[in-house]
Amino acid sequence: MTEVIFYVFAAILLFAGLRVVTAKNPVHAALYLVLSFFNGAALWMLMQAEFLAVSLIVVYVGAVMVLFLFVVMMLDINFEELRKGFWKYVPVAGTVAVVMAVEMALILSHRAAQIEGAGLVDHPAGYNNAKVLGQLIYTEYFLPFQLAAVLLLVGMIAAIALTLRKRKNTKYINPANQIQVKRNDRVKIVSMPAEERPSVEAPKADDGQA
Amino acid sequence: MLENYFPILLFLIIGLLVGVAPMCLGWGVGKVLGTNKPDAEKLLPYECGFDAFEDARMQFDVRYYLVAILFILFDLEVAFLVPWALVLKDIGSFGFFSMMIFLAILVVGFIYEWMKGALEWE
Amino acid sequence: MNIMTWSSLNAGVATPEIFLLCATCAILLIDVFLSDAKRHISYVLTLAALVATGCLLVAGYSLQPQLAFNGMFIADPLASLSKLGMVVGVILMLVYGRGYAAVRGLFRGELFTLTLCALLGMMVMASAVNFVVLYVGLELLSLSLYALVALQRTSSRSTEAAMKYFILGALASGLLLYGMSMVYGATQSLDVFVIAQKIAHDEANRLLTVFGIVFIVTGLGFKLGAVPFHMWAPDVYDGAPTLVSQLIGSAPKVAAFAFIMRILAQALEGFAFDWRSMLMVLAVLSLVIGNVTAIAQVNIKRMFAYSTISHMGFLLLGIMAATPGGYAAAFFYAMTYMLTAAAGFGLIMLLSREGFEADQIADFRGLNKRSPWFAAMMLIVMFSMAGIPVFIGFFAKLAIIQALVGLGLVWLAVIAVLMSVIGAFYYLRVVKVMYFEDPTDTAPIAAGADAKLVLSVNCLLLLVLGMAPDRLLTALTTALQFSLHPGL
Repeated sequence: MTEVIFYVFAAILLFAGLRVVTAKNPVHAALYLVLSFFNGAALWMLMQAEFLAVSLIVVYVGAVMVLFLFVVMMLDINFEELRKGFWKYVPVAGTVAVVMAVEMALILSHRAAQIEGAGLVDHPAGYNNAKVLGQLIYTEYFLPFQLAAVLLLVGMIAAIALTLRKRKNTKYINPANQIQVKRNDRVKIVSMPAEERPSVEAPKADDGQA
Repeated sequence: MLENYFPILLFLIIGLLVGVAPMCLGWGVGKVLGTNKPDAEKLLPYECGFDAFEDARMQFDVRYYLVAILFILFDLEVAFLVPWALVLKDIGSFGFFSMMIFLAILVVGFIYEWMKGALEWE
Repeated sequence: MNIMTWSSLNAGVATPEIFLLCATCAILLIDVFLSDAKRHISYVLTLAALVATGCLLVAGYSLQPQLAFNGMFIADPLASLSKLGMVVGVILMLVYGRGYAAVRGLFRGELFTLTLCALLGMMVMASAVNFVVLYVGLELLSLSLYALVALQRTSSRSTEAAMKYFILGALASGLLLYGMSMVYGATQSLDVFVIAQKIAHDEANRLLTVFGIVFIVTGLGFKLGAVPFHMWAPDVYDGAPTLVSQLIGSAPKVAAFAFIMRILAQALEGFAFDWRSMLMVLAVLSLVIGNVTAIAQVNIKRMFAYSTISHMGFLLLGIMAATPGGYAAAFFYAMTYMLTAAAGFGLIMLLSREGFEADQIADFRGLNKRSPWFAAMMLIVMFSMAGIPVFIGFFAKLAIIQALVGLGLVWLAVIAVLMSVIGAFYYLRVVKVMYFEDPTDTAPIAAGADAKLVLSVNCLLLLVLGMAPDRLLTALTTALQFSLHPGL
């Protein structure tokens, strides 16, 4: 049963992967990538790596792919124009891909390649992937765990350094400043001595004519 | 363990059937019974009688990207918090403070982006 | 599961890294509160942090390797010395690039923090003895470098270079990771020493390991820029702001050497027969194509890129020898090349000024008439890169060739010498342009006194070290002896 499910998901995964490369519309390609991530998550689930499967969906499908679609839509590129080179490179790229695939198949199906541990491990009941990971990440893998934080920090710095720009000509209101405003900031009372009203003189008749 | 996910598999299968089967059915029945005589005018996108002005896809401002990427970074941080919360009792104070150091590094980044004004939409 | 305690972490071994991380965070936070006019405060703080890191490295130097962080981190002489080299390389980049960055709007807090993060990544690469940590260190370096290349946002060439660098770098990381996972599958361990032990006891699946090695070597080839995985190098060196080109061309080469030593020479030593032939192909191709293509370049940054490719060929030849002598020669080559490349890019920045990039060979025309001193400095750099005797580059090449001849690989040594002779052509062409042509650009040299002073010291060091290369070579050989077979 598990095998059947595996092959179904793997077939969809391959199909989706192929469509990512061949889809004409980049938005479609991105959506096929989402599909392939879903199937990847399902394969992980079959290996009882629940936590990884869920985080693949939460992080990749939920966040990274949204970002991907943003980027695709941010670009002002004629994709038809870009894809013109596609068929030109197909023969070379296809040959390389086929050679690599055949080599891999030959090596991995060779008699000497008795890959130990390649079969799925049957975990005992009550096995919790997230717990097992948790027990390792925060203790044994202390160093890579902290370095991962530094990597995220670099990501933040890089994203801000590369995309943040101050627009000087935008006009916007800051509610915090609006609330904090005092009467004195807006109204200035100046004490002025009362002035005598200048007596109005009757204009001379010949001035206007001069 | 996998048995626990059987309802979800069932849900997926039924969802696919309910979603895809009518689609295929409609397409097949339409193919057989309907008439289909397309010409250039019929296939044109229609926009109030004018030729289409622009692509249906709209360009986004690069600011969305910054917000999205900052979201992803903290999304990943939360992903790290989940297993930690599950095993907090087993890993003792070492595990607790290990996460605190991790969070401290990210808080530095958070202060940085806040002060830089990356979280403001102007 | 073993309960961890703080003392079992033995974190004191990593004091320089921990200090550098804290300093980076502090500079990041201080910088956001500074106005542009006070930016030099972060610059001074960055330099201070680098010098302090260097002092901590010297203070903590010991010949006996020490493990930390559950055996994932090692402080051995190989790591300490290469880290010292990287710190020097990064200091040089910041000193030479200060004026250059200031007039191009690059003198920002991000420049300093990203550079420090890149250095942290390199230091982790040098010290890691666990595949996960090795990979995270490499990513830390690469991510910082991608961002640094693109830092000049208004330049479309920089952005294009960053894009190429990023895509090929990501591909290389993927290949490397794939290879590492194969080795993990074959040996069931991520620890460098455990892997070595399993291979020595013939407990590793041979076919799977070799399959993994193919991917690892390909990934390393991409990262080093060795032919046939070199396509990104000229565009990135050319498109990046020159101070970032200097960073990419200098310190990471030392880190890459240490990284290769950890993976190939320490973990996969038992499969040396397999990876040696792969490295040999990469090395010969790099030597030939790097040197021949460099002749056709008119842009000096591109010329340096191709020359780097050929120098990486030499480095790989040393590692390929897989003998203590070969490793020591390669280590010596990496360290001295780091100094030479830093000086070369420093001179380009010296001649650049606001709105002008001295990135053509023609810009060096008649430098002797404009500034005899710096023409002499450039002469030293070119002679050293070409491998002309008395200069340090000669002894670096000599050590590699000695290692090859010692193994009986005379034909490889002959190829290396022939290619050096071809290489000498384009280095000497720069010298000819400086001394025998009239200047077209007569503007005074705009660089600050600090850059001029340090650059002169750097170039003279290439000469002084060339006079007495033995001490450095002996020190590096001893360091490797204590690192590679620590008997832990």
